[in-house]
Amino acid sequence: MAGTGGGELKYEMAQNAYIKLVLHALKHKTSAVNGVLLGRTSPKNESLVQIEDSVPLFHNHLGLLPPLEISLIMIEEYYSARGLGVVGYFHANERFDDTELGNISKNIADHISRYFPQAAVLLITRSLKLYQKGKTAALLCRFVSYASMAF
Amino acid sequence: MVTKTEESQLNKLENQVDNGGGGAWEYLCLARKLKVRRSDKVLKYGLSILNDSRKRSSLGPDEWTLYEQVAVAAMDCHALDVAKDCISALQKKFPESKRVGRLEAMLLEAKGSWEDAEAAYSSLLEDNPFDQVIHKRRVAIAKAQGNISAAIEWLNKYLEIFMADHDAWRELAEIYVSLQMYKQAAFCYEELILSQPTVPLYHLAYADVLYTLGGLENLQTAKKYYSSTIDLSGGKNNRALFGICLVSCANKPNSGSLHLGKKSHCTHVFKKNSQNTHVMKKIPNLRMFGPSPRLTKAVIESPR
Repeated sequence: MAGTGGGELKYEMAQNAYIKLVLHALKHKTSAVNGVLLGRTSPKNESLVQIEDSVPLFHNHLGLLPPLEISLIMIEEYYSARGLGVVGYFHANERFDDTELGNISKNIADHISRYFPQAAVLLITRSLKLYQKGKTAALLCRFVSYASMAF
Repeated sequence: MVTKTEESQLNKLENQVDNGGGGAWEYLCLARKLKVRRSDKVLKYGLSILNDSRKRSSLGPDEWTLYEQVAVAAMDCHALDVAKDCISALQKKFPESKRVGRLEAMLLEAKGSWEDAEAAYSSLLEDNPFDQVIHKRRVAIAKAQGNISAAIEWLNKYLEIFMADHDAWRELAEIYVSLQMYKQAAFCYEELILSQPTVPLYHLAYADVLYTLGGLENLQTAKKYYSSTIDLSGGKNNRALFGICLVSCANKPNSGSLHLGKKSHCTHVFKKNSQNTHVMKKIPNLRMFGPSPRLTKAVIESPR
């Protein structure tokens, strides 16, 4: 599944990665959920980021540091052996009409973007919005056909 | 809060009913007693009992409790017409009841008419100012509208009256954590630990919040609470074990000579608990608990 971008960067998301995150959000309908996106920049094209996999993280205490540190340590260790790095962060808010990216998500995404400047934040709302983290946080793409899912 | 045995019993019953083995009524009773939120299953099986007039009449007076349970589950699943039917059936039977009035106000809330629901709850509270459920619904309305500060205010007022409500303290702590107000969240967990000192969950959450706050003293207190969690849970709590490792590393992040000390400390923590060998397998190389590169170090050293 490909997403198109305005600006220089493009993101391509593997189906597995996307489905894992959506299913995680569906399983915990009543709370906010978290996750990291893993991938690499495409070797052929510098401005294309391939998101190959994702790891859903939490569904209750999103703002606590110890579980986040432990999970990031494990994820880095496991995926660097496969050549993938953390390329983004995924978030879905508790209320379906909340389209704001909260403070916690911004902090985590900031840290990720320090190590991977083309990092992306995927916020699931009624439609999906992919934000490019960086100096200009602009709306990159929208998957409209999923508007029927009530999150 | 549900214990592990109760939860496994509930899951077993749920599997049994899912696979057509009967026992729907026991499942519904257990769900009602434990106050778990499994609205889709409750709705499905509750409706199957209510729509069958034979099963319904065999319930006797419990039929009305079932109507109430199914009404609430229907509102949670946004099946508002089902909820309306249940409430009208209850209204016919108990015309002047406060409980039914409460359900009607909840239906207004589920439809999204916040002002009407607020007015209904206020009038119900005038008659009975000590109804816990209605106070909590008011908090829920504020939260659903996105007005978290009003939710905190209402919840604080509620807790001033009903100080013994543990679930409310937990909810308040979680709201504070989501807003990154860690000191206030720590206060809530302190209250919980004081009232129920043998529940390891609160010790663990308190230690997590202290670690997130940061600072040498907080880290050392966090270590103590992780240890007490391990003690209370008989060494089975993975998060607490990890927490001890994290605190040890965070105390001295850049010192190479202590690297071995940390590593042996961590190995010691894991070996002590031989039942958790899968924890050791998950971490193929304990080296990473040393000065770890890249992302995680930044997260640890982030300004707090």
